[in-house]
Amino acid sequence: MASVEIQNVRKAYGDFETIKGVSVEVPDGAFVVLVGPSGCGKSTLLRMIAGLEEISGGTIRIDGRIINDVEPKNRDIAMVFQNYALYPHMTIAENMGFSLRLAKKSKEEIAERVNDAARILGLTDYLGRYPKMLSGGQRQRVAMGRAIVRNPKVFLFDEPLSNLDAKLRVQMRAELKDIHARIKTTTVYVTHDQIEAMTMADRIVVMRDGIVEQVGAPLDLYDRPVNTFVASFIGSPSMNFITGKLGEDLTSVTTENGVRMPLGKHASATPGSEVTYGIRPEHLAIGQAGEGIPVTVTNIEPTGSETFVQGTVDGQKISALLRERLFIKTGEILNLAFLPTNGHVFDTASGIRID
Amino acid sequence: MLKRKRFIFAMLAILPTLAIFAYVRLYPIADTLRLSLYQWNILSKNKPFIGLANFRELMGDHLFLDALINTTIIAFGVLALTIPMALVIAALIFHRTRSRMAGFYETAVFIPHVVSLVPAAMAWKWIFDARLGPLNALLDFFGIPMQSWLFDPVLSVICIIVLCSWQALGYAVLIYLVGFKNLPVSLYEAAKLDGASGRQSFWHLSIPMLKPITLYVSVVTLVSGFNVYAQAFVLASDAQGAPGRQVRVLVLDMLENSFRNYRVGYAASEAVVLLVIVLALTLIQFSMLREKGKA
Repeated sequence: MASVEIQNVRKAYGDFETIKGVSVEVPDGAFVVLVGPSGCGKSTLLRMIAGLEEISGGTIRIDGRIINDVEPKNRDIAMVFQNYALYPHMTIAENMGFSLRLAKKSKEEIAERVNDAARILGLTDYLGRYPKMLSGGQRQRVAMGRAIVRNPKVFLFDEPLSNLDAKLRVQMRAELKDIHARIKTTTVYVTHDQIEAMTMADRIVVMRDGIVEQVGAPLDLYDRPVNTFVASFIGSPSMNFITGKLGEDLTSVTTENGVRMPLGKHASATPGSEVTYGIRPEHLAIGQAGEGIPVTVTNIEPTGSETFVQGTVDGQKISALLRERLFIKTGEILNLAFLPTNGHVFDTASGIRID
Repeated sequence: MLKRKRFIFAMLAILPTLAIFAYVRLYPIADTLRLSLYQWNILSKNKPFIGLANFRELMGDHLFLDALINTTIIAFGVLALTIPMALVIAALIFHRTRSRMAGFYETAVFIPHVVSLVPAAMAWKWIFDARLGPLNALLDFFGIPMQSWLFDPVLSVICIIVLCSWQALGYAVLIYLVGFKNLPVSLYEAAKLDGASGRQSFWHLSIPMLKPITLYVSVVTLVSGFNVYAQAFVLASDAQGAPGRQVRVLVLDMLENSFRNYRVGYAASEAVVLLVIVLALTLIQFSMLREKGKA
């Protein structure tokens, strides 16, 4: 096990910079998820940790040692690829034992370590098969097994679940978390799926356009996003944003036509300034007459367990995730109430949180 | 109805090509099979059916057996030299594709494949020339005794193998390059992280994963090896300068029998033997390919 320290790391292709000075600390034994939209540089950063991409600037340390110029094989890391990258001509056992074979370990040791990893991953019955004889989930486990047998200091995962169907993804998510809890190897995991990030991470690093937007525990990011980008990226469905003016008392936001939305705390901006009020769809509930904000319903999507309602408030789009079954039609007005403490406020121009 | 119309249109569209193919490819093969059972001197109207007599005679014909042995040695020699060299050269070119010289390397290797056989063989004849050739000059420079490359029975076969491999190499490299370009990069990255060096990746990943390409290239190389003619004809003359005598090959033997000795039926039976050998080798190689595919 080891810590990973990324300090002011840059990656440039000619004049074009894809990673613009990223600093992240991954404590020993932690499960850190790099999350962000496509092209934000998360995979490039992971590949730089692995040694598959050169580092244009800054330093990466594993266990205190700078590894910028260290060969990938000497970094003591293991990586699981998005497409699994299993050797098609080798059996599962050969795939898992390949690194040990290259390291000239004895046949007995290879067999023992492969069997141990196979037991952890439930692959014992498949060791003699070839990758193409396995399902997506099983291949994913083999890729994990190949990493586990090496007992590396750091695990790197590059969107490992994105080729699986939704049901299997949920199952593998739990399995990965369970394996990490058992072997406790420092893990850096890349995904574009914020639900994966929220459910698996000890700490999430949100990236956009080659910079880190916010680092924190999943619920910290959910509860106190530092800007509108993080607020919209973390949480599903995405947070609602309604623009308006900050009230005189700094504890409410009022839209152009006078819809007032209260805040649980004081905003640090001048009264009357243009702000964006944020409220998550799941924090909205059906209010009594005259309570909450009036929403004109434009679309209703019942899923059985909950109802997803889309509408407008003062001409601005809003959505709500309600537990109740609703018997309303589009065009009707629905009063949606919420706790002021669940409201967020951001500066409209910069998008930065101001409460 | 529409399907039927489209089928008729498709058949009509390919009919001209099919007709030409049948006339220049299938008919000669069928006629060769037929002729091999007859005795015919090309001119006579009299063409008696003699059954398998031609084949029986072949088994005792030392010129034919010599040619068969030489051709087999050359074909397998070319195979043994071409495949590993093509694999290594393709790997080197592939891993240097970012260099400015990549196009030059590819062209340089491929040119021999498209150069006309006879001029190329003439150039090699000069290289191997015992008195004036640069090869012997080089040997002499290093104090190694000079060799009579094209007159020694063993060395002349080796010379033909070298020439044929030089010509076959370009095509094999080209096909291997396509194979290399289709191998997933992530596997090499995974191997790198698993601790494999470039050579180990080549040995443990490239070679096994390119097996289908190797089998295909082997079939093509072997078939063209069995058809060797011009190289032997130009390169290997006997002591009196008669072309093709030093290393007798099957195609030459066939030509002599049909157009010098006017024994067309007999030559056809040789062609049938060559066809059977090539077909058998191709079937063996393709069955190996299929077995691999099942794994």
